[in-house]
Amino acid sequence: MTSSARTTAAETTVPAASNTPGSARGRLLAASAPVLLLAAAVGVWWLVALLVQSSVLPDPATAVTRLVHNLGSSRFLGSLAGTLARLAVAYLAVVVIGGAVGFALGLSRFWTDAISPLVYTLYSIPKVVLFPLFLVFLGLGGASQIGFAIFSGILPMILMMAHAAAGVPRLPLKLAASLRMGRVAVLRTIAVPSVLPAFTSALRLTFGLTFLSLLIVEMFSGVSGLGYELLRTIPLARMGDIVGMTILVVAVALAPVSVLRVIEQRVNRRFGESKEIS
Amino acid sequence: MVLMTAARATAAPRRYRIPRYLRPRPRTVLGMTSSAWTVALGLLCVVTLETVSRAGLISDLYLVPPSTMATRAASLVTDGGFLRQDLLPSVALIAVTFAVAGLLGIATAYLLWRSDWCRRAALPWLAVYYAIPVFAIYPCLVVLFGVGPVPILVVSVAFGTVVVVTNTLTGFDSVPQPVVKLARARRLGAGQYLRRILLPAAAPDILAGLRLGLVYSIIGVLATEFILSTHGLGHYIADAYHTFRVTDMYAGILLICVVALVLNVGSATVAGRLDWRRR
Repeated sequence: MTSSARTTAAETTVPAASNTPGSARGRLLAASAPVLLLAAAVGVWWLVALLVQSSVLPDPATAVTRLVHNLGSSRFLGSLAGTLARLAVAYLAVVVIGGAVGFALGLSRFWTDAISPLVYTLYSIPKVVLFPLFLVFLGLGGASQIGFAIFSGILPMILMMAHAAAGVPRLPLKLAASLRMGRVAVLRTIAVPSVLPAFTSALRLTFGLTFLSLLIVEMFSGVSGLGYELLRTIPLARMGDIVGMTILVVAVALAPVSVLRVIEQRVNRRFGESKEIS
Repeated sequence: MVLMTAARATAAPRRYRIPRYLRPRPRTVLGMTSSAWTVALGLLCVVTLETVSRAGLISDLYLVPPSTMATRAASLVTDGGFLRQDLLPSVALIAVTFAVAGLLGIATAYLLWRSDWCRRAALPWLAVYYAIPVFAIYPCLVVLFGVGPVPILVVSVAFGTVVVVTNTLTGFDSVPQPVVKLARARRLGAGQYLRRILLPAAAPDILAGLRLGLVYSIIGVLATEFILSTHGLGHYIADAYHTFRVTDMYAGILLICVVALVLNVGSATVAGRLDWRRR
């Protein structure tokens, strides 16, 4: 979670900017550079695929063709829809439950200090090895997968929200006390705006973790879903299909995260950067 | 006089109570500090698990008492077959992953710091990198290289490097302006600037990045072993689950938790020693 807060910090300091960020040319260059990098990567892939001419390394066109072909099959579409539905349920639970619990915990600095080391311990162990527990208690179906995805996403959400709420600057709080503000007014006018930047970072970060965990457990125990489809194609060794699906997974991950990043940048501009927690 | 009593009369019924959130943090609650509560709550969890499973409220097909897990874990550590087949391969893979991810991460960060264009091109991708489930490339790699250490290493390095890059970059950016100017005035070469200024100044952030890189390496290795492999701790747990060896499964999980905790605390101590900002 440190990384995301730091990434945003790193982005704002452009080193020795040769093109002033304000100028139209500088903006154009800054916007086109990531796209050019992507194009270069795809170009290199294509070139290598052409040179190697091997069935284990398909070129991008083959991968996309296979993906489009697969998207025509109802079984694959069912798997995709299943994964998206499980992801939606798990992510919603992470945001609502994790956000509320973390915020409530952060309102008491004492209990934040007492409980967050325990949550952090749980967070720092490789959670995937705990997945059999979910299988044992929730069964083989979607419940265990959703449960595990929630478990992976909710811990950082709780930690980030608790630290944000507990770390609200003292000065406005003292001012609120001397202005005799009530509890609701303090929460509405000070606490919530202060934690918003951290909340938006957490939204983006936990989405990635939730999706990653869901995919891993689908690979491990799924009978349908994107992770299952990915692993199912290994014995068939149809690389075009595998690479096509990997592209789909990346697209599914990047679409919402790009939106969340825009929201995050807006919130940061309005309410200030989120502070790092570690 | 009349005015004052009137004011007091109106103020008295609406006595302001400062919301607890605005009050200073209490040092103790019920005579215990927050650290004492942390320990107490942790112990409470363990004791609850122990009693629940000892009392037979949950079948031993689902849960075994923590004391049984610990005994089995202790016997696993002295079991030569387990050490050779599972523990050592995992630890070796984690060590190699961590070394490669660390060096690659710092080198990449330096490249991005040197070249403005590379940085602009790469930063948006780095920021969304962890939203992409890196493990999705594992199946491709298994087809390419077969089941073995190579795909595990590639996935784990891919998973662990980026966090080192972003943290190191933050560190490189943290060099104070006067120091940069001084270096320019002394006409330091690129190599000297890197050795004398950039690396020492960024050391705390690099260490923080390396710590996270270590955690990510552990996760990467264990998760890929867990999904599909023939050796390793992750494989051991998956195998124990599939063959209903519940005690072995819990013992493996406990062992991993202990190893992860020890590495975490150890790296925190080392990082704390080397971090000049906290001195």
